[in-house]
Amino acid sequence: MSDAQFDAALDLLRRLNPTKLQENLNNLIELQPNLAQDLLSSVDVPLSIRKDPTDSNREYLCCDYNRDIDSFRSPWSNTYFPELSSEDSQDSPFPSTPLRQVEILANDSFDIYRDLYYEGGISSVYFWDLNEEEFDGHDFAGVVLFKKNQSDHSNWDSIHVFEVTASPSSSDTFNYRVTTTIILHLDKTNYDHDSQMMLSGNLTRQTEKDIGVDMSRPLEIISTSHVANLGSLIEDIESQMRNLLETVYFEKTRDIFHQTKNAAIASSAEETNKDAHAEVIKGLQSL
Amino acid sequence: MSSSKFKEVVNKIISDCPPGELREVYDDLIKITSENSKNTLLDAIESYNVQNCIPVDVDGTFIIISKYNKEGSKFFDPINSVIFSVDHLGHKGLDIEPYEFIHSKLEKQQLKDLHDKLHEYLLQNFPGDVSLAVYPVPEEISKISIIIVSTKYNPNNFWNGHWRSSYIYDLDTKELTGHISTQVHYYEDGNVSFQSGKDVSQPNVVDVVSTIRDIETSFESDLDLSFSDLNEKQFKALRRRLPVTRSKINWGNAIGGYRLGKNAAEGK
Repeated sequence: MSDAQFDAALDLLRRLNPTKLQENLNNLIELQPNLAQDLLSSVDVPLSIRKDPTDSNREYLCCDYNRDIDSFRSPWSNTYFPELSSEDSQDSPFPSTPLRQVEILANDSFDIYRDLYYEGGISSVYFWDLNEEEFDGHDFAGVVLFKKNQSDHSNWDSIHVFEVTASPSSSDTFNYRVTTTIILHLDKTNYDHDSQMMLSGNLTRQTEKDIGVDMSRPLEIISTSHVANLGSLIEDIESQMRNLLETVYFEKTRDIFHQTKNAAIASSAEETNKDAHAEVIKGLQSL
Repeated sequence: MSSSKFKEVVNKIISDCPPGELREVYDDLIKITSENSKNTLLDAIESYNVQNCIPVDVDGTFIIISKYNKEGSKFFDPINSVIFSVDHLGHKGLDIEPYEFIHSKLEKQQLKDLHDKLHEYLLQNFPGDVSLAVYPVPEEISKISIIIVSTKYNPNNFWNGHWRSSYIYDLDTKELTGHISTQVHYYEDGNVSFQSGKDVSQPNVVDVVSTIRDIETSFESDLDLSFSDLNEKQFKALRRRLPVTRSKINWGNAIGGYRLGKNAAEGK
């Protein structure tokens, strides 16, 4: 595989019907199997849902970041389901013990966030270490996921992939980098009029922010600061993206549609005629 | 991969291409596969163009190609009296030759009168780049096919818009049937697609042009309502602009307070 092929594949996926993303992704991989790994790890598809049998079948979200072989790690029990053989799970990725503690805190916090903003839906947060050694309050990465389905006709997936790294210039400053993709699908079928309408797709934005963390405090407090910083950053990003989605979906596309078809130009032409007519009458009356 | 499987996959990808972006999709597919797949891609593009009634530039006039004006590998236009081959990738007419319209029921002037009346309607309702076709339906002498295409392509700003409405009018039964389809693609830092379609069927149509005008005007105003409806109902139900508390979240250790508050309110 070459970079040119990978770039061409990403360009194609940005052009083809976003509702058939998974299908197009599979077709591209069939055409060029070498692309499989890179495409699967860089293209965001709608999140799938699994149940954690050890936590009252509580639902969790699945993506490439919590996958190993064909199993997905649950954020609630830190276990892969379907369960892996003990041999396989020896090599499975898990966050280091101290980072898992932060992951638990993050899942708890974002679950409250989910409830306040989505009033339903599912959230899941997965962390992974960036250094060989155990997490000590410094660099780590992860993904924050939200999904909300409302009937079969509307679906929202938020995928925030982030990296937190110590700033090279100051030991108490961290760089938070977040790449956010929101996949939003809305459709409507009007059976009385034999008509359908669909607004569907995804938007991606990158955000970066430097935030200070007091590294002289105990690890537990440092961890709480990281989760709070991530939380308010993602809260801001989602608010901005929600506005952006609203503008693109409901104003931009509608405006472009009217640039192809617009009955108003006929009536505005009549208006202009009427105005011209009124001018003439006015002119005559003033004589 | 077998060549028939390869063809199938390429056809699927091409058929999914938004109007106005065929060239880019073709270039991408050549890069992903190889120059050797050129002929398979061009075949797929030809069927795409015919199926989607794509207008091609025939000596400065845009003529819609479709299954209704196909003759062998060529296409004809009864009103402009030309027959031509098509460069399907470049959307250009080639080997343009004169064509004489012969039909057992229809006169050329009849088609032209309808064409001119429709054209007048188009000018007042379609601000995009507009193409219009009025073709007899092969083998069915009482039927006329009408195709309207309006496009606004703006790749520099990462969007393309497309309208197509196509009808069959039966001169004997006076029935008008057809389909309207519209598509907008917005792909700046993402990939957003708006698509809408509607099946149309109307009996006892005497004035074809004013019937089409009425159908399309109400389709357009229904769409405006649907946009507002999807925004007000479905979109708003997915994620709130602000939490129920109407202020941003107090992150950190205090966040547990929201849950305590909620549990207390629910009497847990």
